[in-house]
Amino acid sequence: MTDPRHIRNFSIIAHIDHGKSTLADRMLQLTHTVQDRDMKEQMLDSMDIERERGITIKAQAVRVLYEADDGVTYQLNLIDTPGHVDFTYEVSRSLQACEGCLLVVDAAQGVEAQTVANALMAMNAHLEIIPLINKIDLPAADPERVRHEIEEVLAVPAEDAVLTSGKTGEGVREALEMIVRKVPAPSGDPDAPLTALIFDSYFDAYRGVVALIRVIDGSIRKGTKIRMMATNTVTEVEEVGVRRPANIPMDELTVGEVGYLITGLKDPALVKVGDTVTLAHHGAEEPLPGYREVKPMVFTGLFPIDGDQYPELRDALDKLTLNDPALIYEPESSHALGFGFRCGFLGLLHMEVIKERLEREFDLDLLATAPSVEYHVYRTNGEVLEIHSPQDMPDAGSIDRVEEPYLRATVLVPPDFVGAVMELSEERRGTFRDMQYLSKTTVEMHYEIPLSELIMDYFDQLKSRTRGYATLDYEVIGFQESDLVKLDVLLAGKPVDALSFIVHKDKAFSRGKILTEKLREIIPRQMFDVPIQAAIGGRILARETVKAKRKDVLAKCYGGDISRKRKLLEKQKKGKKRMKNVGLVEVPQEAFMAILKVDE
Amino acid sequence: MPSHVYLHVPFCRMKCSYCDFYSVTDLASARIEAVITGMEAELTQWSSNGLAGVVETVYFGGGTPTVITGGLVRLVRSALEHFPVRAGAEVTVEANPDSVSVQLIDALAAAGVTRVSVGVQSFNSTELAVLGRVHTVDEAKAACSAVHATGLELSIDLMCGIPGQAAASWVETLEQALRSGADHISVYPLTLEPGTALDVAVSTGLVQEPDPDIAAEQMMIAEEVFAAAGIPRYEIANYARPGHESRHNLAYWTGRPYVGIGPAAHGMLDIETARHTGMVHGPGPNVGRVRYGNPADIDEWLLGRATEIELLTRSEVLREDVMLGLRLVRGVPHGAVVAADLVDVLISLEESGLVERILNSGLPVVEEGVVPSMRWRTTRRGWLLGNEVFERVWTGE
Repeated sequence: MTDPRHIRNFSIIAHIDHGKSTLADRMLQLTHTVQDRDMKEQMLDSMDIERERGITIKAQAVRVLYEADDGVTYQLNLIDTPGHVDFTYEVSRSLQACEGCLLVVDAAQGVEAQTVANALMAMNAHLEIIPLINKIDLPAADPERVRHEIEEVLAVPAEDAVLTSGKTGEGVREALEMIVRKVPAPSGDPDAPLTALIFDSYFDAYRGVVALIRVIDGSIRKGTKIRMMATNTVTEVEEVGVRRPANIPMDELTVGEVGYLITGLKDPALVKVGDTVTLAHHGAEEPLPGYREVKPMVFTGLFPIDGDQYPELRDALDKLTLNDPALIYEPESSHALGFGFRCGFLGLLHMEVIKERLEREFDLDLLATAPSVEYHVYRTNGEVLEIHSPQDMPDAGSIDRVEEPYLRATVLVPPDFVGAVMELSEERRGTFRDMQYLSKTTVEMHYEIPLSELIMDYFDQLKSRTRGYATLDYEVIGFQESDLVKLDVLLAGKPVDALSFIVHKDKAFSRGKILTEKLREIIPRQMFDVPIQAAIGGRILARETVKAKRKDVLAKCYGGDISRKRKLLEKQKKGKKRMKNVGLVEVPQEAFMAILKVDE
Repeated sequence: MPSHVYLHVPFCRMKCSYCDFYSVTDLASARIEAVITGMEAELTQWSSNGLAGVVETVYFGGGTPTVITGGLVRLVRSALEHFPVRAGAEVTVEANPDSVSVQLIDALAAAGVTRVSVGVQSFNSTELAVLGRVHTVDEAKAACSAVHATGLELSIDLMCGIPGQAAASWVETLEQALRSGADHISVYPLTLEPGTALDVAVSTGLVQEPDPDIAAEQMMIAEEVFAAAGIPRYEIANYARPGHESRHNLAYWTGRPYVGIGPAAHGMLDIETARHTGMVHGPGPNVGRVRYGNPADIDEWLLGRATEIELLTRSEVLREDVMLGLRLVRGVPHGAVVAADLVDVLISLEESGLVERILNSGLPVVEEGVVPSMRWRTTRRGWLLGNEVFERVWTGE
């Protein structure tokens, strides 16, 4: 076993785009964990989407061996965490597996909302925080200012912050030295019963669920009979090992070590992030603290454009949930869109990523309805419903009250834009809580705001109204009562269930009006007039009409035109195939998202 | 062997704002000479391949063929040497009013031209300015008279849907067209082609976007006015006094092979001819038709670079024939629809009121079901919504 004194477990945390993954790449290179010829960018991001978007979605753990200036070779376990507010819980579990972290701050951008949020999480986890000012090669880099910000805003001493460039590799060795010197060695008890924290898992088609674990106390080896404490699942260890970044089997994982665990379990629901692994017999009494059930926050209907793809969509969702237990789905049927699934996600990014993966990895053509949240409907007969889709909202007459999820939103913004943030947040039913100057250039504002408003275009608007300066972080604070109504949209006189949405009563008229106008622009002219109406109950609030198209003809068609026009017609046909036939009306996909673009 | 020849003369004095056809405005004589010589070489190639026989129609399009004046006369002579025409053949030259003179028309007639198609577009000077035309209304009238006076057949092109084109102005243009002595008139709704000057002007808000509803109305008015004057529609965009239909264009719409010569020219060949030219080598047995396009760039074309070639399968050929046939007032025979496996599609289009069944006489079929010698034809509503018809026919869905 490795002497725990020579182990350092750390993660890298950063606001999105501050260069976390590139920095990790450089560390793998510098420690010869990956040969230069095998190196690719964002080595630890295995999904195409992660690489393309420059985001990390799955956590990763990689062991590197580093010969430090003191002549000792240390085992460093780098835990790369997701970098988005949707995955806050996953991040907190990854941090729990570490003793320290590198807090990466962009030398030009400075401290942003997720820098703050992540730093707070690291503090709560009692981690040693090593500030690192990255991208110092940028012309706009201003390390002194950023150093100041880190101290002022985060109260993290930054006089010996490491200056690095993921691009050139400058400062990376210094960062590793700092880890060795400052991050405490793990302090578990080798003789206590096994406790190990599961901080992520993925599914391998041949091996079943592979859990990434951190051994807190005791040790774990092949053949050990173990129990997952939250799910109370007893099984036997098939293999343990470490990732470099490929899986390397080991005899055992001992106190303080990080690695992977394979048990042969095939059901990801039994291997939960945050759960504690202990011995099946005479195991630990208490699980490690901090486990909770992950609950999806944002729901949307996913429908195959071509109804024949329904079974393929189901299979694809099945496969994705193996690697992503936070994704849930249940069958949903819509008069307008046919058969599909109501899917629950951690947040909007999670939703986008899943939709994109379904389309790309499984070659599906999908239509997504506007995202919604979970509503708690208290009926007059005492019944309580948890609804995830506007379609399921019962008659207004039978409803006593409705509650919706509220967030505490933290916005970091330069003082000049405080007014803009207030205006936007009030438009979106936000309640101002407090604000404070973190520094001369940064104000922290707190709002309580319904999640349903936030998943409209709040974030886009926030960015555009503050010229990109504002950053946002949020946490759910619970359900609160709101005066909500269901707004229906009728096309050609028929209600289209997939276009219904739930809205605050005071906003129903304006949103209905803007939405019908928006739909009139989006829905192409058809062979007949298409009236578009917004209604609550039977009462029409707004009406627009898409006039029938009268002329659509490629009039000139001579020798050279024939091939060209045929291709144009084929293109047009393809465009139509991406539309959904709702009754006789051809509706483009974006119509179902139009409600998100309603800017008042 | 093809009985129809198209020659593309890629020169213009100025580029019109809406046009995306291939042409250049560099009128240096060496440039023109190079193109004419190149086209003559292409003609010789066809002869030496033994593929240039007697033809029924020859068409000089552009560009503005008349802009190269003497060069055009020479080109007409060369073309008719290699592709001799039988008596009564149709030899058309496209012309713009600013480059037509009585002398040139006489010379062209002497060289064998029988028909001149004048790009008038509008008899309103404001509208001409929007279109970026270089000629005046008076020049247009003079050009028509010059052609008419020589006794050549006169065809004119008009455009509707021009931004700012008022109803009264449209009717005035239609009446002027009838007075011009033309026996053949084409009416095109203005289309915004991506990347053209007009497209840019519209997208930047300098010019109002063409209104499709107004264009539809104008197309209907044109049909009425011309029909009343004895010049009925025979194709979506074309009207002719009976007997004066463009035989060259009818060849395009009835799937007859044609040779294309010059930069950016297109041709369509039956598979045997295509093989004979060396354009294709033993394509699979399922190929029914070969379309080719010369490079839309004079220098590349002069280098003899490979042309773009499209092979149509036999079933595509059948669908293409129905698609093109439905552009014609006479429609397509039911047999062709059956052969192309399009009966379902046409019945569904009939339900939308876009096509109808007619007898050979042109009268509608009243009985249920299939009648001997029945044809399918696009309806008046269908003319305006042609893309709906063509798209479904071409894709077969």
